Amino acid sequence: MDYKELFLQAITSLRKNVLRTALTMLGIIIGISAVILIVSIGQGAVKFITAELSAFGTNFFSINPGSSAIAAIAGGQKNLTLEDAEAIEKNKSLTNVKTVIPFTTTSIKVSANGIDKSILVYGSTEKMAEMMNPTMLSGEFLSEDDISVASKVVVLGTDVSKDFFGESTNPVGERIRIDNKPFRIIGVARASSALLEGSLNDTLFIPTTAVISQILGQDASLRQIGIKVKDPDLINQTIEDVKVVLRDRHDIGEGEEDDFTVQSFRDILTTVQTIISLLTLMVAAISGISLVVGGVGVMNIMLVTVTERTREIGLLKAIGAKQKDILTQFLMEAVVVTITGGAIGILLGIGGAFLISLFVPIPFVISLPSIAVAVGVSAFVGIVFGLYPARKASRMSPIDALRYE
Amino acid sequence: MQKNSSPLIDFREVKKYYILGDESHYNALNGITLKIEKGEFVAVMGPSGSGKSTMMHIMGALDMPTGGNYLFQGKDIGKLSDDKLAEIRNREIGFVFQAFNLLPRTTVFKNVERPMMYAGISKSEREKRVIDAVKLVGLDDKAQNLSNHISGGQIQRVAIARALVMDPSIILADEPTGNLDTATANGIMEFLQELNKKGRTIIVITHEEHIAKFAKRRIRLVDGKIVTDTKT
Repeated sequence: MDYKELFLQAITSLRKNVLRTALTMLGIIIGISAVILIVSIGQGAVKFITAELSAFGTNFFSINPGSSAIAAIAGGQKNLTLEDAEAIEKNKSLTNVKTVIPFTTTSIKVSANGIDKSILVYGSTEKMAEMMNPTMLSGEFLSEDDISVASKVVVLGTDVSKDFFGESTNPVGERIRIDNKPFRIIGVARASSALLEGSLNDTLFIPTTAVISQILGQDASLRQIGIKVKDPDLINQTIEDVKVVLRDRHDIGEGEEDDFTVQSFRDILTTVQTIISLLTLMVAAISGISLVVGGVGVMNIMLVTVTERTREIGLLKAIGAKQKDILTQFLMEAVVVTITGGAIGILLGIGGAFLISLFVPIPFVISLPSIAVAVGVSAFVGIVFGLYPARKASRMSPIDALRYE
Repeated sequence: MQKNSSPLIDFREVKKYYILGDESHYNALNGITLKIEKGEFVAVMGPSGSGKSTMMHIMGALDMPTGGNYLFQGKDIGKLSDDKLAEIRNREIGFVFQAFNLLPRTTVFKNVERPMMYAGISKSEREKRVIDAVKLVGLDDKAQNLSNHISGGQIQRVAIARALVMDPSIILADEPTGNLDTATANGIMEFLQELNKKGRTIIVITHEEHIAKFAKRRIRLVDGKIVTDTKT
């Protein structure tokens, strides 16, 4: 049989019942568009997060208290001090270390203008600006002098400023009470990256020294020491060198476990990418279930079509159609339905992803492999679910088919 | 050589029974022995239920006998595979049915072309043969009409054109004029007569005497048996 002719015949047959064909396709359209949309959003999210995290640079790593990543995240460990940060900074053998950024975090009651709120307070040095890269809306960020004399000064995140002083007031120069102690506002900052909005706009920054002397006390542990290096290619060696310094300071003997955890942004990036990719795959697989439902719909309609066209099958057999000819004809119809449905689904999925990218800060990504898979899956669904009805048609006895009423 | 010496159709004590719902047997053909040679124009007649349609279905390799042997051009039909039978129907037999002759909502051209597609004939050759066939049946101006947009007489002519495109050994027509008025029916039969004069073998199943008169040989069936077989 001429496949081009078979294809045209399939189109002609399907056009005879446009509404039924469209409804049969619907399941496939929904399944394929959902998969394409989810994969596109997932890949867009990976691209977005990669770009945001890369803004920190690959020349950054952090030291967290605690011997495991979980302990570090939980923040319950108290074994990283400001002295540790100073020791790293002043160690002349650590030639690749560019900047050391120690900071604490704590949630404390903050009061101003008769409003009380519990807010996350960063105890940081002036070098925090290098890590967070904030946009100063007014005033200035913490200075070296503020750190050295433990000034009772504070930089407000923009949302905190709005909560306490309203949209239109510039609070620089005003006072705010942190843990019931008065601090002078020296600046209002906003995150320059969407990823840092949560960690910057809703928080306060006061000198590390002031946090320790005024709020947490002398035995306070740092939340993290951020370290920027000069040459990112040597970062792994620098991490090892810093570990040696800290192990020495913490009296950790050979064979004993570190009481701190080092994470580079490369590690974080890989972890985040892996998590998002896995989530995308999982949700896409769930959406793929609708393809099975769509396939069952195709099978159902093809069975109805075969029954309706029994006499036609009889006539075709009378004029010389072999089993293979009938099988191919009905299979072609099922595959044309699913591939057309798949193509519409791909277009809708891409259109949907594009529309979403207009409203959320996720870049519009078209995944060519996912499109190729969608086309393949559509054809596969057509073949698998069209095979039984097509086989049934091909195996009819010509005389029974011709006599069918 | 066997093909030339053997009759086109050779029925040897052919029997056909059907098992009914209550598991009783219904004998449609009760041992038919019959030979039809190349170039004959045969009318198979009989009242309703006489077995004439069953005989035609077996002759056309659409159905199998339950007893006896049917040799088509010397080959025992009962021993052939489904695909081989399809090939015989495609190349050797042209069917014209009483109803449901054409593919619905498909053009006259595509209907006539279809058997050649199953035979793997090239597109250009198919086109040439369709044009010749529709011209022969006088429907060259209707080639692009849909099958549901032509009259009953024209449908039968298209079916004849389709039956002719493969240049078959036999044209088997089952009540080809059953749904037509007398004038149109006579027109179809005259056309079949013309084809026979050119050497084509034609077998017509009918229950109408005036239709049977167009044939040179008339076989009458009653209760699945041949009661008369006359030549004019």
